Amino acid sequence: MKTDDLIRVLARDTLAEPPLVRGLMAGLVPALAIALAGLLGVMGPRADLVQALANPLSVMRFVLGLALGALALIAALRLARPGQGRGVVLPVLVVPAVAGALWIWAWVATPDEGRQMAMVGKTLSACLTTIPALSVLPVVAGLLALRRGAPTRPALAGAMVGLGSGGLAAAIYALHCTEDSPLFYVTWYGLAIVGVTLASTLIGARALRW
Amino acid sequence: MAQESDDWGLLLAAANAGDAQAYARFLHAISPVVRGIARSRGGAMGEAVCEDIVQEVLLAIHLKRHTWIEGSPVRPWVYAIARYKVVDAFRARGRRVTVPIDDFAEVLPAEAGPDPTQAWDREKMIGMLDDRSAEIVRRIGVQGDSIAETGAALVMSEGAVRVALHRALKRLAALRERFVE
Repeated sequence: MKTDDLIRVLARDTLAEPPLVRGLMAGLVPALAIALAGLLGVMGPRADLVQALANPLSVMRFVLGLALGALALIAALRLARPGQGRGVVLPVLVVPAVAGALWIWAWVATPDEGRQMAMVGKTLSACLTTIPALSVLPVVAGLLALRRGAPTRPALAGAMVGLGSGGLAAAIYALHCTEDSPLFYVTWYGLAIVGVTLASTLIGARALRW
Repeated sequence: MAQESDDWGLLLAAANAGDAQAYARFLHAISPVVRGIARSRGGAMGEAVCEDIVQEVLLAIHLKRHTWIEGSPVRPWVYAIARYKVVDAFRARGRRVTVPIDDFAEVLPAEAGPDPTQAWDREKMIGMLDDRSAEIVRRIGVQGDSIAETGAALVMSEGAVRVALHRALKRLAALRERFVE
């Protein structure tokens, strides 16, 4: 087939794909709704949720998780559009920077003898299993949406999907979790999110090629 | 160059709004540039292979045209897709090439050779489609039939032809990986 013939074929194909954002939302919203319903149904919200919302350190879990979710997924969408330049992931770094600063502040502010207890907490294994479990559907939804895009750096795009999904999953898990010390949640929520990100990076490197 | 780029943007915007003629002009306008990129990177592999790669890039641009945001620069978008697909195509053919990012401004657009170049891989891949899809692609491409003529010849509604054509193009893009590797 000659190239002019191919162009004639392409010009006759007028079916357009829906915009990327709409595709992402169509998958992500149900995925998050299921994750939220699952957490509230199976584990339930913490008993003192209303009082906890008056504690800025506790609220920071939601702020950091939601900010990470929004910034990383925006970066993922931009990575799915060719020619968007190199700096698209830089805004995402704000979240780990703030989380790191918070962790250091908490380390200094917590008395010596309390540090280890604050960091290990009581619900470590629940945290490290639930956040990845809540991330599964959002990661799948995000990767499927990005497959319709054109990520020229598939692994990085996969990483942003994992980071964003992990952040949102952490914010959902925070409804249940009673650990309010940054020494706990920056460390272990962070580790759980890193795990999700690694898995999504590896999947993305293959699944997002086009 | 900037003027030309603006033209590309206008053409592509009109195309996305449903103007098939503007879209054909857009694809004709970018193909010499894409061909220049392919030849500057892999000219040693011969014109036919380069032309296959040009077609891969055009097909990718077609199937991913919803990732261009109206009003944003077209040229970086086209270059990024071409770079990705050219590297990928040569890698799949067992040759590693690197395509630097910034030097496409220096690439001379290349017209197709004196004999209108055939892309043989594409022909084989069309043969790997199911008969009806291959027939639709050939009728429209080689014979120049319209959607309506194709539908009449194959006893299909126009809507069914459109859907079948779109799916056939997606499969052609997907087949490339399996075929070359």
